[in-house]
Amino acid sequence: MEKIMQQQPQAQPTPKPKKKIRVPRVVNGVEQMVEIEVDADAGPGWGPNDKHTLLNKRVTRVDGPLKATGVARYTYDQRLPGMLHARILRCPHGHARVTKLDTEAASKIPGVKAIIQAPLTELRFAGAPVAAVAATTPEIAGDALRAIKVTYEVLPHVVHAHAAIKPDAPKVVAEENNLQEKNKNGDPAKAEAAMATADAIVEGEYISQRVHHTCLETHGMVVDYRGGDSAMIYASTQGTFTIAADAAKELGLTESNVTVSVEHMGGGFGSKFGLGLEGLLACRLSKQTKSPVKLMFTRYDEFVMAGNRSGSWQKLKAGVKNDGTIVALQARQYRLGGIGQGSQAGQPYIYRMGDTYREIYALHTNEDSSIAMRAPGHPQASFAVESLMDELAYKIKMDPVEFRKKNLTDQVYHRQLDRAAKEIGWSRRNPVAGGNPGPLKRGMGCAVGTWGGGGNNQCKVDVTISRDGSVLVAVGTQDLGTGTRTYTRAIVAEELGLTIKDVKERIGNSKLGAANPSGGSTTAASLSPSVKDAAIKARMLMAERVAPLLGNPKPEEVVFSGGKVSAKGQSLSWQQATASLPAAGLTSHGEWRADLQARGIHGVCFAEVEVDVETGHVKPIKMVHIQDGGLPLNRLTMESQINGGMIQSLGMALWEGRVMDAQLGMQLNPGFGDYKLPGSLEMPEMVPLIDDDDKREAVIGIAEGCIIPAVGALANAVFNATGVRVRELPITPDKLLMGLTNSATD
Amino acid sequence: MTKSRDDRDEQKQHDPGRRRFLKGVGIAGAGAAIADHLWVEAEAQEKPETLAGNVLVGKTKATLDVNGAKRDVQVEPRTTLLNALRNHLEPAVTGPKLVCDVGTCGACTVLLDGKPVYSCLVLAVDAVNKKVTTVEGLGSPENPNAVQAAFVENDALMCGFCTPGFVTTISAYLKKNPNPSLAEVREACKGNFCRCGTYPRVFEAALAAAKNL
Repeated sequence: MEKIMQQQPQAQPTPKPKKKIRVPRVVNGVEQMVEIEVDADAGPGWGPNDKHTLLNKRVTRVDGPLKATGVARYTYDQRLPGMLHARILRCPHGHARVTKLDTEAASKIPGVKAIIQAPLTELRFAGAPVAAVAATTPEIAGDALRAIKVTYEVLPHVVHAHAAIKPDAPKVVAEENNLQEKNKNGDPAKAEAAMATADAIVEGEYISQRVHHTCLETHGMVVDYRGGDSAMIYASTQGTFTIAADAAKELGLTESNVTVSVEHMGGGFGSKFGLGLEGLLACRLSKQTKSPVKLMFTRYDEFVMAGNRSGSWQKLKAGVKNDGTIVALQARQYRLGGIGQGSQAGQPYIYRMGDTYREIYALHTNEDSSIAMRAPGHPQASFAVESLMDELAYKIKMDPVEFRKKNLTDQVYHRQLDRAAKEIGWSRRNPVAGGNPGPLKRGMGCAVGTWGGGGNNQCKVDVTISRDGSVLVAVGTQDLGTGTRTYTRAIVAEELGLTIKDVKERIGNSKLGAANPSGGSTTAASLSPSVKDAAIKARMLMAERVAPLLGNPKPEEVVFSGGKVSAKGQSLSWQQATASLPAAGLTSHGEWRADLQARGIHGVCFAEVEVDVETGHVKPIKMVHIQDGGLPLNRLTMESQINGGMIQSLGMALWEGRVMDAQLGMQLNPGFGDYKLPGSLEMPEMVPLIDDDDKREAVIGIAEGCIIPAVGALANAVFNATGVRVRELPITPDKLLMGLTNSATD
Repeated sequence: MTKSRDDRDEQKQHDPGRRRFLKGVGIAGAGAAIADHLWVEAEAQEKPETLAGNVLVGKTKATLDVNGAKRDVQVEPRTTLLNALRNHLEPAVTGPKLVCDVGTCGACTVLLDGKPVYSCLVLAVDAVNKKVTTVEGLGSPENPNAVQAAFVENDALMCGFCTPGFVTTISAYLKKNPNPSLAEVREACKGNFCRCGTYPRVFEAALAAAKNL
């Protein structure tokens, strides 16, 4: 193979001049800006967003035909010779210690091959894993679970935040307070003084529930280790490269001898990184049985032990001048992450609010740990602050759109608010909340959101052009359903003047070039610059190769377009051009380029709902979300992502929520029969808009940005329709009817 | 043999089928409604036995007609059609997805004699002598049916895990109603869940496919 670095070993005798740039980097889950060095003359960029041939167009996804015909092979579909099926025994108590695990009867069931105890003996939530079984069929594994006898020492538990915060509440962790202070920000005295100057004040407690990712493909892995020095793992993961190290430790192998594969995966939404407990147990069972072991969570497991979006409890107080200027905010924010830390953006979220002071706490309960979920902490903060903003606007009788603009310095929001307001028909809105006649009342609301979406330099991409004309782009990244495969192909095809079908991609394998885990909307901005870099280098290598056939032009004079390679009035078909390659073809290696990506996105959502004030039923009518994101890699899939953000927000705003029983300490709705997901009958008219006024010639991740504002927009629409402010999610008929009754008797 | 007055034994003698049937569908069906621990002792104590030539516990041979091919498979009476397709047939048929296993999400939808059913709620032995059509039987990547092609064209899929269920449901529905309204398409899809949020484009795809039938 001709590696570009090998081909020009003497080309740069002196080091290239460098420039320093600042880029985002996630360290221990927190995004920080760090300075890195790049070549001062970093190559050509994307060019204007409206000058592309494949990018920023509507390209159907390349794995679509496989998925639509059932051919796509997911982790859950893996079936290896001799494979065992594993299942997990769950703790039925909110807090308990295992004192005895009797597996004798279970181990005698024919077909049961191994039973192991989960690593922890103190179980801090109902559903915590106690043991795992591997058997020849899933049914027999289930039989074995029922035959295991566990003796528990049951400990006191607490599962509701309002109970957990009391001084005499049962302790989630012995000797530790359930309430842990995390940070303080601002000057309390200044905020207090500023509050005194306000013309109007709004104070409220906003509560967002814990919602589940409910990835349709549950968490899990197939671990194939039959002894020897290497293992293969098929994982449903957002991070192909996040598994091997921990798996190797469990299996007693070296990291490089563990290969991880994820061809297709059925949803993650932030919840699938690393080996996880399911992977750890699968490794131990595979090692013990010397057989491939498939351990996929059941749907019940998925609800009670796969994590969830942390809840929030936010006490906010804001003061405003009659001209719409917010002068002060005081906030006390509780992150409700169960035994985990939870996440919540600090207030004030996005808006400029004068003198502010906030305190953030983690408040623990005996519940499964929260885990990152699409825009961790942002929808929670957004729902609270957008509700507050609305209440302030109504209090001083100012149009909510104008009021937002007054307190938003970033002009991008102004143009997005105007465009989306027009799209939904904001002028039709009755400014009097609950002012429309009749029992079916319509209302509108709006909200804004932001996200980073910048990339990092982890992706290493190879583009190989073979003598037969085939083109392969290879990198170990994963496609969560976001369209990664498609844009990876499209970038290379566009650079080489080919069609999308002329390029093949190979992804989802840890033996391919390194790639970052798909978290924080960092994939597109990390991967696409590396793909582009490799594609440019491949083009230049090809240009040099064919130059003698085209009258010796300079490489940059060779044009790749329409399946032809041309220069100086002469033209070669792609096949003719690649026939000139050596037998091994050529391979170029791409590295990340900071100049091809950016960070910082804006989104605005408007919602219209119809509320039946006799039943409390909320029917979403229309939603509009406008999103910027630099260069849209694929308009078709970007619009789908925007739709997805709105629909997941619908669930959080109106229907979804984990229900815990205080006495039993258990989740009461761990299944789709009782946990209400958005369905086909509830879908409003949806308008996903791409903000093409964003002219940045850079790739930015957008997936998380488009889930943030819709919850607040829907809550505000419900208020506009009814005059009832529901400050606790989800906005279900019982809460609305209670509010309507209270307002009728006021 | 002395007739026992014990209720369980009486049930065993007079209604042997029902009890063992319930036992058999333990995980997949009845198990969802009956507490797990009730089964523990019965499971541990009882041995495979036969009644009137029909195996009620242990494995039995069933011949399934899957996508036009007769396929022999060894299954337990409690084995669901979904499980038989995915975990017992060799080679496996994995288009229908296991997502909830209790008939609430639609991802495992297959056609049984042309009618859409949740294959997690059908016992494999009950699918004998019926034509089972899975998403693989509706078309291939090279030769998709109108619904599959429309799903790709309209980007009606993201992660794709719900897609086989939607495609199968809609393919069957369009045979019944080749000219549906949007409201009718929504109604037809109400037994299928998607989490990524593809519904609007699923509707568009169904309406587009209807035009191309």
